[in-house]
Amino acid sequence: MIWFQLQSLVGSYPLALRGLGMTVALSGISLVLGTILGFALGVLRTSGSRLLSSAIGLWVDLIRGTPFLVQIFLIFFILPELGVELDAFTAGIIALTNLAACFICEIVAAGIRSVPTGQVEAALASGLSKWQRMRQVVLPQAMRVSLPPLVGQYVLLIKDSSVVSAIGLTDLTRVGWLVVQRVPNGLLVFAIVGIGYFIVCYPLILLARRLERRMSAAHGEVQL
Amino acid sequence: MIEFRGVNKWFGALHVLRDITLSVEPREVVVVCGPSGSGKSTLIRCINGLEAINDGALVVDGQRLGDRTTNMTGLRAEIGFVFQAFNLYPHKTALENVTLAPIHVRKIPRAEAEASGREMLAKVGLADKFDTYPAELSGGQQQRVAIARCLCMRPKIMLFDEPTSALDPEMISEVLDVMVGVAEEGMTMMVVTHEMGFARKVAQRVVFMDAGAIVETGTPEEFFADPKTDRSRAFLSKILRH
Repeated sequence: MIWFQLQSLVGSYPLALRGLGMTVALSGISLVLGTILGFALGVLRTSGSRLLSSAIGLWVDLIRGTPFLVQIFLIFFILPELGVELDAFTAGIIALTNLAACFICEIVAAGIRSVPTGQVEAALASGLSKWQRMRQVVLPQAMRVSLPPLVGQYVLLIKDSSVVSAIGLTDLTRVGWLVVQRVPNGLLVFAIVGIGYFIVCYPLILLARRLERRMSAAHGEVQL
Repeated sequence: MIEFRGVNKWFGALHVLRDITLSVEPREVVVVCGPSGSGKSTLIRCINGLEAINDGALVVDGQRLGDRTTNMTGLRAEIGFVFQAFNLYPHKTALENVTLAPIHVRKIPRAEAEASGREMLAKVGLADKFDTYPAELSGGQQQRVAIARCLCMRPKIMLFDEPTSALDPEMISEVLDVMVGVAEEGMTMMVVTHEMGFARKVAQRVVFMDAGAIVETGTPEEFFADPKTDRSRAFLSKILRH
């Protein structure tokens, strides 16, 4: 029985690979976009106008305070009502990027706030412009604090990407649902799905741990 | 070079600078002293705009602070500021610390900035520490890097905010020696310090502050030998007793 199920599982490996590819593509693209957007938001959150900062804060709280599944449904089903036609992949990217950006914004903002005032004053006193102070003095030091939680956040993002199966994208989780209809052994199928996610996430978990250890070194730059 | 005219400043209800009128000439070295909380740090932090004044006029290098036409970033580049806590950039080596502003503010080519950075670090006695990070330097060494960082910008004015107060006693003289050297080269300097030996050696004037006001001004000889007010006498007897 098990032998037969295993055989038919092996037969569905092209589908599984496609699912894994979809998960990696979704997470990868939104991870990169979300990081860029999240950094921009984090910098604006700490150094923009007060109005802008509160607006960003409100949006971040809104996103952090609602289930991701609900956000995806809103984007996928509500936006077309407003005349914005989206395919499921684009909707998934938008939802995941937005989610990542909001969490990364708070991580980056916390890192920036952790840089001592004296550092900003020294940069200010030497005549560096606002952008130069941020780029040369504040961000490199903020990164030392932000990098470990940032990588941790990537892991969460990859796992959250499983929710996009709800709007019909054939990612790793949805492949699990499809296969389980052919091979009626949920435990086995989803154990394999779990292993798939773990293989993608584990290197990042190791990286986060390494960065955390490196951070305890008192000096020098964080080297990747 | 620096002119305070009736400057007042409040932190909320606290009146930290009271009717300050003081003028510092080019190449002059002025030492500011007084009990803690007397406003001396605030006084020199106003000069490069780290603190804003609320009332009166403050003119630095011909530019009036707070004017819309005054380019603060440009003015700050002409003023070196040495902090009590050094405030070196911990993620940059000694050489990177001293070349950052010359490269990005003065737009000096990297190679040239590094050459003069090395020269400046050698001048403050740190020729073997170019590639060392601040955390690996002693307090005295860090403060000398901080002074070199200011000097690399070729400033017109140098401000020192209690530069030796955070140092172990045996490191104070190495920093003061560098400061004496800077003064002897003709730099315009305002120094908040209780190092009376330094004041005697290089200062043209000592300004004594208490409760946000300038109480007494005089040459070091006058001030130390014959303080005019009770408050300055009480202050001097406390710091010179030992």
